Amino acid sequence: MSSRRSSRSRQSGSSRISDDQISDLVTKLQHLIPELRRRRSDKVSASKVLQETCNYIRNLHREVDDLSDRLSELLASTDDDSAEAAIIRSLLNY
Amino acid sequence: MASAYNPIYTDVPEKDVFALHFLQTLSNLRTQNSFSSPDNKTSDRVKKIKKAAYVSMARAAGGTNRLWSRSLLHQAAKRNNKNVRFLRRKRRVTWLMRRRSNRGDPIEDVAAERLRNLVPGGGGMETSKLMEETAHYIKCLSMQVKVMQCLVDGLSPK
Repeated sequence: MSSRRSSRSRQSGSSRISDDQISDLVTKLQHLIPELRRRRSDKVSASKVLQETCNYIRNLHREVDDLSDRLSELLASTDDDSAEAAIIRSLLNY
Repeated sequence: MASAYNPIYTDVPEKDVFALHFLQTLSNLRTQNSFSSPDNKTSDRVKKIKKAAYVSMARAAGGTNRLWSRSLLHQAAKRNNKNVRFLRRKRRVTWLMRRRSNRGDPIEDVAAERLRNLVPGGGGMETSKLMEETAHYIKCLSMQVKVMQCLVDGLSPK
């Protein structure tokens, strides 16, 4: 029983310390997400930030899928020589 | 505001690091003749490219130094070797740690659960670590998307 109490206090103790950390991380996440960066207000709630983060990650995954589709078409249809040259040229010119 | 805790490292390498890794993985695919042979179905090709994108992103972002990239590489290697036993053990640990972390704040729990399902390796982390990993994951993902967009733009017929 004493171990349970100590573990519970340890848990509440750790959450008290990391509350600041969590709010800092939430702010940092907020700055990363384009949706929330535009609003610029500090009043965005943590749950809203997490929700928007989920949506943003899902969008990025969808973009990767879409770009993979297009890449596979493009890479299959071009010749070997011109494809390699085009790849290197496009990546060096960014 | 400044508290004495560890600074959060969410620095991400430059775009050329991602580009280099992606190119290397793509060229490996090409030497395996995945693109030129007409027998390969389009869906297989797409799947290979998508896997190459995630693996090269994980390698560029620091390989095994990050929890999410380590989990990604582990998953990818597992799919090659078809080793199922590790998967089951990992699930059990995930369940235990999820029960422990559910006693925390209720606000973040629901959204954090969804986030855990999206970020690779998220099941075994507590909330603060999860958000740190998420920040890094988002930066790397957007970098990878930029690299792929550049490629697509460069390869598209003008």
